[in-house]
Amino acid sequence: MSAPRNRQPFDIGRAAYLAVNGLMLFFLLVPIAIVLVFALNPTPYISFPPVGVSLRWFQKFFAGADFMNALTLSLWVAACVLVLSVLIGGACALALARGHLPGRAFLTAFFMSPLMLPAILTGLALFQAYLLAGIGRPVWGLIMAHTLVAVPYVIRTTLAVLHNFDRRIEEAAAVLGAGPVRVFFEVTLPLIRPGVFAGGVFAFIVSFDQFPVSLFLVVPKGETLPVVLFNYMKFDLDGAIAAASMVSILLALSVVLVLERLIGLKAYVKL
Amino acid sequence: MIKRRTVLHGTVAAAAMLGAPSILHAQTKTLKITTWGGKWGEIMKGTVLPAFEKEFKCTVQADQAFPYVPKLQASPKNDPLYDVLHTNSNEQWNCVVQGLVLDKISAKDVPNIADVYPWSVSDKIVGVAIFTSAIGLGFRTDKGLAKPSSWKDLADPKLAGARGSYIIPVNSLGQCHLMMLGKVYGKGLQDLDAAYKALEQLKPIKLVDFTGQMEKMLLAGEVSMGVIHDSGVYRYDGQNQPVDFASPSEGVLALEQVLNVTPGSKVKELAFAYIDYMLRPDVQKLLAEGVWYSTANKKVKLDAKYDAKLLTTEAKVATLIQPDWKWYNARKEDIDARVTRLLRG
Repeated sequence: MSAPRNRQPFDIGRAAYLAVNGLMLFFLLVPIAIVLVFALNPTPYISFPPVGVSLRWFQKFFAGADFMNALTLSLWVAACVLVLSVLIGGACALALARGHLPGRAFLTAFFMSPLMLPAILTGLALFQAYLLAGIGRPVWGLIMAHTLVAVPYVIRTTLAVLHNFDRRIEEAAAVLGAGPVRVFFEVTLPLIRPGVFAGGVFAFIVSFDQFPVSLFLVVPKGETLPVVLFNYMKFDLDGAIAAASMVSILLALSVVLVLERLIGLKAYVKL
Repeated sequence: MIKRRTVLHGTVAAAAMLGAPSILHAQTKTLKITTWGGKWGEIMKGTVLPAFEKEFKCTVQADQAFPYVPKLQASPKNDPLYDVLHTNSNEQWNCVVQGLVLDKISAKDVPNIADVYPWSVSDKIVGVAIFTSAIGLGFRTDKGLAKPSSWKDLADPKLAGARGSYIIPVNSLGQCHLMMLGKVYGKGLQDLDAAYKALEQLKPIKLVDFTGQMEKMLLAGEVSMGVIHDSGVYRYDGQNQPVDFASPSEGVLALEQVLNVTPGSKVKELAFAYIDYMLRPDVQKLLAEGVWYSTANKKVKLDAKYDAKLLTTEAKVATLIQPDWKWYNARKEDIDARVTRLLRG
């Protein structure tokens, strides 16, 4: 005689929770699946259902000098933006959280303002400012523009960590004889690191995918990948676009995974 | 023993050597242009521009990243971002109104203008049109459709949901189509009331932003008939695709590739030389056969298969209708609002 099974009563709240999560995942992942299907479909146009599996669009993407130059530039710019955003955004967040600054609310809104302004206007304004200043459109100008848009992400995530920060740990370190610099590097920084680096990941992705700001700031033979893809689409709407999108998604995912391995972004989940 | 004079000579020579690259650089003029991407861009970057740079001992900076006109508008007029602006005709008219490009270019500055068809420098053109495409109807040959002979064929009820055109506010082919509806169903290209009424009769209709999207929708069979330029169909010649192009009896509209010079250009002579170069028969032939554009230069002899399909004779050129973009642009906002309301949903 078998023992009676312990049946859990049907929990409608949990079922609804799972259903909503399932729907959200479906909503997020289906477009990626469709892009993958298009990238592997050998027809010279985007069609559904696919007629076969081919890597010809990936080959076209990787063999195209324009695509590769743009991909290299985008990666380089995004890497610089990551570093600059982490430095600037982290410092700003510390100043806002700890600095007892007058007009703190105003300063916070000021630093966040690039997110509120349409990015295309930011790009146009910087384009005009650069031309008026007579500096043209150098790569460092593009990096500064991307950094401007990316810094708020680092500020936001770092402020979130600092909000829950137990300052008694710093005080304990100071009582035990550590100077302010040592306290910062050995206590404060390790504790706020998940927030800073999570912001850095956002900054990298925001820069790598940045289109509206780049549109006005790129120069001939110095175009970023999103700009090259946009212009390519106007003349050749084929699977190379889908292949490029897949490569972009995989690169962004790789960055997240590498940072997770290096610094453990799981802690960021708590933010 | 090293003499003082030897040291002085050496120093001067070294300074000259160090300074030489910057002096050379300063002497090398840079021509800033806009140009298209795709196959056109490949030919330009691979062959046409390097040859121009070599012949004129200059550097060409070719911008392929849209949008050109807002960038030009945002740059100082006395030091414009471009020396030569390549766009379609509708944008050139916008630019000339704002003083961003020259009104007319004559054979005095560009000698090859003496050999162009009249449409290339007509009163409907600012600058010089170096090529044109014919806007007509592209159609699938495997759907049992007869080759369209009139613009009215697009209204065939059988094509409901399978006909295609463009989002009129953003695409000049859509704007051309609207004007053509005025001509076909009303009193002329400027009969907007007749055009709106005819446009409404075309619903349901698939609308796209770019001609590239229309090409792909035709290839994929998502539309069976659509408004498109001849080069957008002919470029698939020999690729066994079931698509063809028809020139309606009422005429085809011109989609001109126009070059113009910015008034504030610091290298105007080079800019005119570039336009003259683009009108040379050998350059025209290379590009025309590469992307299926009809040439502006009358002296160009295309290979037979291109000659048969493109507008290469006076008689064929006579079917070309050039819209009045000055008139259209002046009322574009009203037209955009009206067609957006009309085609909503």
